[in-house]
Amino acid sequence: MLILALESSAKAASAAIFEDGGMLGLSVANAGLTHSRTLLPMAEALLKNLDKTLPDLDAVAVAQGPGSFTGLRIGLSEAKGLCWALEIPAIGVSTLEAMAWGGPDREGAMLCCAMDARRSQVYNALFTVENGCPRRLTPDRAIAVEELKNELKAYHKPWILLGDGAALCYNILSGEPDLALHLAPEPLRIQSARGVGLAARDKAPVPPEELLPVYLRLSQAERERQAKMKEPAKE
Amino acid sequence: MLILSVESSCDETAVALVEDGRRVLTDQIFSQVALHKIYGGVVPEIAARSHLEVIVQLADRALKEAGVSRRNIDAVACTYAPGLIGAVLVGVNFAKSAALALDVPLIPVHHIRGHIAANYIAYPELEPPFLCLAISGGNTMLVDVQGYTDMRVLGRTRDDAAGECFDKSARVMGLGYPGGKPIDDLSQTGDDHRYDLPRPYVGDNPFDMSFSGLKTSVVNIVHHCEQTGEPLDKPGLAASLCRAVSESLVDRTMEAAKMLGYQHIAVAGGVAANSRIRRDFQTACEEAGKALYTPPMRLCGDNGAMIGAQGYYEYLAGTRAGSDLNAYATMEL
Repeated sequence: MLILALESSAKAASAAIFEDGGMLGLSVANAGLTHSRTLLPMAEALLKNLDKTLPDLDAVAVAQGPGSFTGLRIGLSEAKGLCWALEIPAIGVSTLEAMAWGGPDREGAMLCCAMDARRSQVYNALFTVENGCPRRLTPDRAIAVEELKNELKAYHKPWILLGDGAALCYNILSGEPDLALHLAPEPLRIQSARGVGLAARDKAPVPPEELLPVYLRLSQAERERQAKMKEPAKE
Repeated sequence: MLILSVESSCDETAVALVEDGRRVLTDQIFSQVALHKIYGGVVPEIAARSHLEVIVQLADRALKEAGVSRRNIDAVACTYAPGLIGAVLVGVNFAKSAALALDVPLIPVHHIRGHIAANYIAYPELEPPFLCLAISGGNTMLVDVQGYTDMRVLGRTRDDAAGECFDKSARVMGLGYPGGKPIDDLSQTGDDHRYDLPRPYVGDNPFDMSFSGLKTSVVNIVHHCEQTGEPLDKPGLAASLCRAVSESLVDRTMEAAKMLGYQHIAVAGGVAANSRIRRDFQTACEEAGKALYTPPMRLCGDNGAMIGAQGYYEYLAGTRAGSDLNAYATMEL
């Protein structure tokens, strides 16, 4: 079972190849270039260096969100294009869950995965490591950092912060009484295709037309329209 | 040679299969007009989201309708510029991944070149050189089509596109979005001399155009009526607007044809569906003894077939892209 995993939800783009659950290779680019230019060539080069070809693939796994809307769509449209052409299924993986899989796996560790969602929110989910695997404690959501603080405190345990929003949370919340926070070591902190490939192992593959992004947020136009409709009518 | 072509530059997602640039086996188009209508215009983020949701289904349906298999596809073409960047990115990334996986060449196509090529589908006998007026919601340009991939822009709008002028005028007249069709319909019963609207000429290039002043005039007339209580003659305004836009376009095009000695004049793009513009071109070409080419309505708007048509000639000219192909919001023709 050969799987290509793609991650393009934030600044870094990465591709990984997994064979029967084990990673054969990983390629990462974090130079701020658009994923539209880098992601597919990375996958292409990676396969070549591993002496594999695209028709060898059995599925394509991809981070389906949350994350940068444009970044997600680049990864997802590439996954869809590959799956459609190769007639193989796709596996959509939560960006935050992939982050947890890519993080520290010490038994009992508490993982707080966070991405900067702007507007003083983070995209977040909480996990704990059980039998070497992350077990989900919350669904993926967009949450205010202030609200997240209270949730983290309620567990009375030290938290490991992961993701490109980890530093943001750390800077706002460190020094808070009764809350121990640790930034995950740099190489494990940022989301990568390695986590996507690991998280994909227990997910059901779907036909590529059913692979959909999970933005967790409406477009700005839809938000503004909803807000406008909620406003009381002016006399 | 069978080309799978993908278009996603604005609010239509399309996947077509075109043989040798001229024969359309199928053109699967999903129009997002209904999604954008309540916002009074295309919302780029909503457009991009929708493209991603439907693209695989369109590709599947294209194969089924045409009765061909993936193995029959000789190349993949896609619109890579210009357009709403988030929207173009979906088509580009789908198309280049499919081309890589099918192990066939990838051909990047300029969206406006595609509009021009819609004429090759409608008119099997048409070959360059000819003069083409490309008019749509986002672009307005007069192009000297010297060869299938050899083009020179003679003039273009300095501000709004002709379609944009129709859309914005329709909005202020309360006709909704998109504005081209309702204005065209209303104009049928209106007096085209009812309102005096400007025909702006811009500076140094006689073939450059401007439509923002025209739009402003329409806005001013509507506001004036609202403020003074004077009744607005909507059909008259629609007819006057169509006449002004048409004269701006037709006069320049005929002048360019005369100057360059062209016998063949083609019109392309969504605004080419406007009945006044079509009629005026017909009359002008008959008078001047020139041949006119106006693609049927379904080939005027954005579609996948036109990208497959131009893609074929780009392929013959050696145009290729690799897996690093990017999408661009703007790009010279």
